Amino acid sequence: MPAVKPGNAVMIELGKYFFFDTRLSGDWGVACATCHDPQKGWGDGQALSTGYPSMEYFRNSPTVLNAKYRQRFLWDGRLDGSDAGTLVRDMLTETHTMNMDSRLMQERLQQVPEYDALWKKWRKDDINGMRVFNVIGEFIRSLETINAPFDKFAKGDSAAISAEAKAGYDLFKGKAGCVTCHNGPIGSDGNLYNTGVPEHPEVLKNPLRTITMLRHYATSGMPNYMNFRTDVGAYAITKKTPDIGKFQTAQLRDLKYTAPYMHNGTLATLDDVVAFYNQGGGKGSVLKPLNLSAPEQKSLVAFLLTLSGDPINVKDPGQPDMQVRTFGKN
Amino acid sequence: MKTTLAIAMVAALLSASALAADKYPPLGPLPPAPIPKDNPQSADKIALGKQLFWDNRLSGDGSMPCVSCHLPGLGWGDGGQISRGYPGTKHWRNSQTVINSAYYNKLFWEGSVTSLEGQAPSAAEGGVAGNGDPSVMEMRLRFIPEYVASFNKVFGSPWPRMNDAYRAIASYERTVISETSKVPFDRYMKGDKKALNASQLAGMKLFNGKAGCIQCHNTPLASDQKFYDTGLPDFPGFKDDPLYQVTHRWEHYQKGVDEPRYRNADMDYGLFYVTKNPKDIGKFRTPSLREVKYTAPYMHNGVFKTLQEVVDFYDQGGGKGSNKTALLRPLKLTAQDKKDLVAFMEALSMTEPLIHEDPKLPGDYQPLPAPVK
Repeated sequence: MPAVKPGNAVMIELGKYFFFDTRLSGDWGVACATCHDPQKGWGDGQALSTGYPSMEYFRNSPTVLNAKYRQRFLWDGRLDGSDAGTLVRDMLTETHTMNMDSRLMQERLQQVPEYDALWKKWRKDDINGMRVFNVIGEFIRSLETINAPFDKFAKGDSAAISAEAKAGYDLFKGKAGCVTCHNGPIGSDGNLYNTGVPEHPEVLKNPLRTITMLRHYATSGMPNYMNFRTDVGAYAITKKTPDIGKFQTAQLRDLKYTAPYMHNGTLATLDDVVAFYNQGGGKGSVLKPLNLSAPEQKSLVAFLLTLSGDPINVKDPGQPDMQVRTFGKN
Repeated sequence: MKTTLAIAMVAALLSASALAADKYPPLGPLPPAPIPKDNPQSADKIALGKQLFWDNRLSGDGSMPCVSCHLPGLGWGDGGQISRGYPGTKHWRNSQTVINSAYYNKLFWEGSVTSLEGQAPSAAEGGVAGNGDPSVMEMRLRFIPEYVASFNKVFGSPWPRMNDAYRAIASYERTVISETSKVPFDRYMKGDKKALNASQLAGMKLFNGKAGCIQCHNTPLASDQKFYDTGLPDFPGFKDDPLYQVTHRWEHYQKGVDEPRYRNADMDYGLFYVTKNPKDIGKFRTPSLREVKYTAPYMHNGVFKTLQEVVDFYDQGGGKGSNKTALLRPLKLTAQDKKDLVAFMEALSMTEPLIHEDPKLPGDYQPLPAPVK
């Protein structure tokens, strides 16, 4: 992976606190780290994410690792990858994730002297609005895959990956054609495709999940939203029929820690993912069958695992308490 | 005309109490509640509104239905000095009773909305109250078949709509009205001269006269629906509780005060938030005195636990405030006067509390039926 200018250290430190602080959700029920748990590959380990108390979400919680290399954010690719702050704002203020009034959040954070002191190391103004989102964005952007065997291999250490993985790499670039979409430093071209990933049955079976899905359609301004029963992906944003069922190419970094896979977690293992693509994807897929042998499929998985690095463990720094301020002097 | 005026003047000279009583719209038996033309009552709509009032699914995290801060058993308020507020927050004002709210032309302590239809969304969606997102609350209703059927029957729409939910809640609230046959004062005014005892009658005379309560607490509602600074003491929580401070600053920002006032805010500005006129700082709407027997604690910030304390406060001529009304001055009431006044105020309440039983709520969310055209 290419070297990137390090972020602002104070922002990253503050962002780490905020990332783990439940007071950034409406009822203190969840923090960013609830659905992006460092111990679970910075996702939540479930097929479908849980979301805000009393709700349940209809897509998988993706890892936040390598955010700074993302071209787009969210499974339907609706946000620009260069703007992590806006992604954070969406997650904090959306009713089905953290349901936070952003001004109330600002007033809460100002009530914590440790946060105020850290902020003052960076800026003279109050803890405020979009900058809080940017601070968390900066923290997320500081998290990246390290010591991946493939990166050592690419830098010339030919012993860093096994012969099987090397064979897998050849397939990846060649016969299996993965590299067509999975390219660049994190193995994603950031584009949208329909590969026919099956619907997760739970989305229709569990009304709480259908509620968040149709509500997402309604607030995205999708016409006739009450009559959709599938995850339409990018279509909810573009309203262009060919975009129905299109999702962003997932990154291939740290897959070792981020099962289950796909936008709705329907594939439990990397073996399943490779088998899925070997058959040319699912219904409506733009892909063709690959006719890979069993050993070929195994070697592809071996290669994919070399793109994972050391576990990125960041400890919850704890939640410093709110304190009384001098009334009338803010 | 001249004769009437002359008689009135003579009466005024004869009695200070007559003067006060004549100058202001008198108390009287409560008439039927006004019903807006654009939201007529119907039995089905009222029944639906009652369910919605109780249904926790109309809040951000399913913990704050309307009834959580407006409990029938606590005078349709929440019994606390300050309303409990959404989890993770504290509110900043006293939860008002729903009883007879149908008669107000403005709702909330600073009169920020003009109808019950407008009050319901502010409460259900407000960040320190219900914190519900209307789009998700609406979608929840659409996954509850009983609601889909009821909304269709009442409003004719294929799917429940949040605006209609608020209309139904308002309709229900218009049925939360004092039963006048159980209100001693109303019975007295309708001819039952035994309905008030001697102390209550003495209290009524003070109310209309020497104590001057009628200056603001007039009309059958016992509220002129106007705004006054009575110089109430501040709620101490703003000084010593971080969560109240959070809400206090947030409200200032939400209500659009200028930056210096936001930074230096050291009180609840009341009506000022609506008008932005410095002369309105510290003014709050006169609350009705009906059902006060059941709605302790009192005032916009719940500073008084008993009616006795309220009467003591006015007996002193109120408190200190930059815009304090000239209508308040020390009253020099005797201990007996105060007792009589409290007795009379209690006669404006029903002899037993107005209770509505919990409605039977629709069942759990169900999977959506097949798409409809």
